[in-house]
Amino acid sequence: MIPAAFAYHRPRTVQSALRLLQLHGHDAKILAGGQSLLPMMKLRVATPAHLIDIGRVASLRGIRLRQGVLRIGAMATHQEIEFSPAVRRAAPALVETAAVIGDLQVRNLGTIGGALIHADPVADYPATVLALDAEFTLQGPAGVRTVPAAEFFLGPMTTDAGPDEIMTEVAIPASPLRFGAAYLKMPNPASGFALVGVAAAIGLDQAGRCAHVRVGITGVASAAYRASGAEAALAGQEPTDETLARAAAVAADGVDANSDIHASAEYRTHLAGVLARRALVLARDRAMASGRRRRSASRV
Amino acid sequence: MKIEGEHLLPATRDRVWAALNDPDVLVKTIPGLKQLTPTGEDAYDATIELAVGPVRGTYQGKARITDKTPPERMTLAVEGGGRPGTIRAAGALTLEAQDASTLVQYVGEVQVTGVLMSVGHRLFGGVAKQLAGVFFKALEREVHQRADPEPVR
Repeated sequence: MIPAAFAYHRPRTVQSALRLLQLHGHDAKILAGGQSLLPMMKLRVATPAHLIDIGRVASLRGIRLRQGVLRIGAMATHQEIEFSPAVRRAAPALVETAAVIGDLQVRNLGTIGGALIHADPVADYPATVLALDAEFTLQGPAGVRTVPAAEFFLGPMTTDAGPDEIMTEVAIPASPLRFGAAYLKMPNPASGFALVGVAAAIGLDQAGRCAHVRVGITGVASAAYRASGAEAALAGQEPTDETLARAAAVAADGVDANSDIHASAEYRTHLAGVLARRALVLARDRAMASGRRRRSASRV
Repeated sequence: MKIEGEHLLPATRDRVWAALNDPDVLVKTIPGLKQLTPTGEDAYDATIELAVGPVRGTYQGKARITDKTPPERMTLAVEGGGRPGTIRAAGALTLEAQDASTLVQYVGEVQVTGVLMSVGHRLFGGVAKQLAGVFFKALEREVHQRADPEPVR
């Protein structure tokens, strides 16, 4: 359980981290919390010759809510997200997600940027960032670009981010009026990873119909995905328990579900439907409560 | 572990068959393939460099086409390994003509050993599917280019 030898770098700026990454190329790996990378290095599955620790890059820390957009530095830890008043106000479903990642030690050290780039197909964040329409800022030698969450996750541990890019920020639109979201998962009892995790978000119009629906699902397929069939089934509909259940039933339609020693594809597909229904019901109830709360607040 | 899948290519079966048997095409389409050296009839030595997340490795392998019925079907045996573990696979590719397109179906039995297996087993199926997707997308580009060479004007 001792990693192979490596050189350790600790740059203070994104620029110098990028320079190091370019210099060492294929042999280098960014350390962004290390809660997945370090165990893999100890097992010698991963043996990078250079480790570039971006833990002291000050510009990658911090969480701000400004002009209706929640901006989370990529090196914010799960624990910081869980207890951030700004996240609680603007994206409470992300608080709910961060709170159920791994264990306390993992949450104290692991970061949102590290987890998203690692893109474990059973990780928790991917479902929620899909449901909340998050956008990621990536910085590389060619400059800065943003990628919507829906285009980011390509396969197991495979994302749209290039090997020479660093994620710097996660941006999430602050939840508007009559909007509710929730994340629910069935954890693997041994690892705590999601056997299946579902994040749902519902925005209601004045008439109480679904104006905006997002369902993000992790753990089922080789990458987290948006259940577009379930989303479409709810568009413009009144979110009764029955319509939500009907939409949830197609949450894994057309998806190539994973089968392994932990669960069969059938089990995962079934679980996706069950959790999607519960998450949608919770999101709807929260959307309705948020409408009531804001209306009564504005009357005072 | 069983892996299977299919992909519809917008080219005739003969064209797809020719592409699948052309080392030049394979070098351009197999993800991470650095070198492909013929060692006999229907036998190759291959070097593949792959990075899946933090798991980076160079794999040396041998591939042999054990049986083929042009342009319908071939069976393959692949054996290889690298620092993270070894892979042994046997599988079949079938090509089915569908109008002007070709449906390629693959099915195989893969055995993986080493840390690749002990740590990666829950990722392996997904990685295989994803790499197959990358391969077929590249193959689609290749057969397309060969089918319709840019007219010179």
